[in-house]
Amino acid sequence: MSAIAPAVVFFAVAGLAPLVVRDAFLLDSLVLILIWGTSAAAWNVAGGYAGQISLGHSAFFGLGAYAAALFGARWELSPWLGLAVGAVVATAIGLVIGYLSNRLRGPYFVLATIAFSQVLLIVGSRWRGFTAGSEGIPVPFRPGFWTLGIADKRVWVWIVLGLAVLAYLVQLYLERARRGYQLAAVREDEDAALSLGVPARRLKVAAICVSAALTAACGALWAQYIGFVDPFYVFSVDLSVKFALAAIIGGLGTALGPFLGSALVTTVETYLRAQFGGIGAGLVGIYLIVYGCALIVMVRWVPQGLVGWIGDRLRRRAVARVAP
Amino acid sequence: MSLLSVAGVSKRFGGIVANRGISFDVVPGELVGIIGPNGAGKSTLFEIITGFYHPDEGEVRLDGTRLTGLSPDAVCRRGVARTFQKLRPFQGLSVLDNVMVGALTRTKDVRHARERARELIRKVGLSEKADAHARTLSTGQRKRLELARALATEPRILLLDEVTGGVDQRTIPELVRLVRDLHAGGLTLLVIEHNMRVITAVAQRIVALHLGEVIADGAPDAVARDRRVVEAYLGQAYVQ
Repeated sequence: MSAIAPAVVFFAVAGLAPLVVRDAFLLDSLVLILIWGTSAAAWNVAGGYAGQISLGHSAFFGLGAYAAALFGARWELSPWLGLAVGAVVATAIGLVIGYLSNRLRGPYFVLATIAFSQVLLIVGSRWRGFTAGSEGIPVPFRPGFWTLGIADKRVWVWIVLGLAVLAYLVQLYLERARRGYQLAAVREDEDAALSLGVPARRLKVAAICVSAALTAACGALWAQYIGFVDPFYVFSVDLSVKFALAAIIGGLGTALGPFLGSALVTTVETYLRAQFGGIGAGLVGIYLIVYGCALIVMVRWVPQGLVGWIGDRLRRRAVARVAP
Repeated sequence: MSLLSVAGVSKRFGGIVANRGISFDVVPGELVGIIGPNGAGKSTLFEIITGFYHPDEGEVRLDGTRLTGLSPDAVCRRGVARTFQKLRPFQGLSVLDNVMVGALTRTKDVRHARERARELIRKVGLSEKADAHARTLSTGQRKRLELARALATEPRILLLDEVTGGVDQRTIPELVRLVRDLHAGGLTLLVIEHNMRVITAVAQRIVALHLGEVIADGAPDAVARDRRVVEAYLGQAYVQ
């Protein structure tokens, strides 16, 4: 169980920043940190709290992105509607993946999730008549809140912050409520949980569905913010790894961890792209190498993630102060 | 008026018959022991009663309601709790949280569940370890933890798989005392136990299994002297 004070500070700083900061680059970074942080938090609901490690969450993200983009570009409807439909479809697919999680364990489940996202990649990139195929969909810019045509990045910070806080609260619920305790039991030992009357299968499926819906919502907002949906990006394994990585670096099964992880990963990635991206094509992918190294460092020396590491430091200092 | 009734239960794994036509009843307040050499089918029988396995034939009833066909969590909610032979505490959770998971099956209120869990932790003598991670406990402490966790689900009958297995000699009397106290408090128990001295001391009745079948069912001293039981445990040479 974690204290909520650090999270209140984190979200307050993010929410107040647009009042002070005018720099477009910084605001853009903040929006992305929040979007990737929320995606990682959504991943954490299934991967961290329920212990269902997925490397196919880009499937849900892409669904949300496509739903919002298609609603705007094809039918001239509100992307908010697209967001809702994307979340519903993602929940339905979450039911299928959840069913699989009751059949497949460990690596087999991970492989199944990857396969799922790749199937959607093929559908997205080949179904020309509907999705515009591999060309992707440019999202039309129609000014207004209802159409999510917003040029002011400050407003974007606040919109995305709303979803981020929602994802945080879902995680907080999983730390404090009855269902959260039960889910932790399922993660630790499913048979033992069953023997204590915990409806393990239903809980796992529910966690995966909530995770899927939140991820789809992130995808929808991201598509409207960026203005373009590319199937090879939104359904990529890279993206799934990014969600998992931010959550693992921040602290698996901690509510604030995914946001801290995202802040670190997004900043490093932006920095590396800016530093090395221009030099030559050979160095464009260098951030992926850094990702890999960061993961190795974290798993080897800070396996509990940033939240756990910072918590340990503070506790040690507090103990030192009490007993000098 | 039996609380638990096992009727004609059979279970095969491929060509191996683990349980063959097992029938017995447990009346409320009784402490029944199940004995038998390795491979007699004791654990399989436990898995069937608790819903982890489904029998090929026969059925299990609790107070007249059919348990067979229900999932393990539903069986627990009907009032059957168990411990595992190979202990399975939730390693990454604290002792308190472990027991709370059990208590939360009966109450939706987390605070109430926490109080209830503390009570049970005191009852099994683990209060000092309440906030420790389950992975830091000794085997004897883990057994107590599993007991507290199972009790937290407020069972009508508690199934214990090897209470004294794997713990050192000095810990055995304490665990036995704990089981006796629970029984004295009115709980119905079904206990698998390897240690003959322990089981004949605590059980009111013993059911002996051999090669998947019931070979004896009766008072402890009678079962311990039963010709077929001695033969099954020690071999024919020891039969007088």
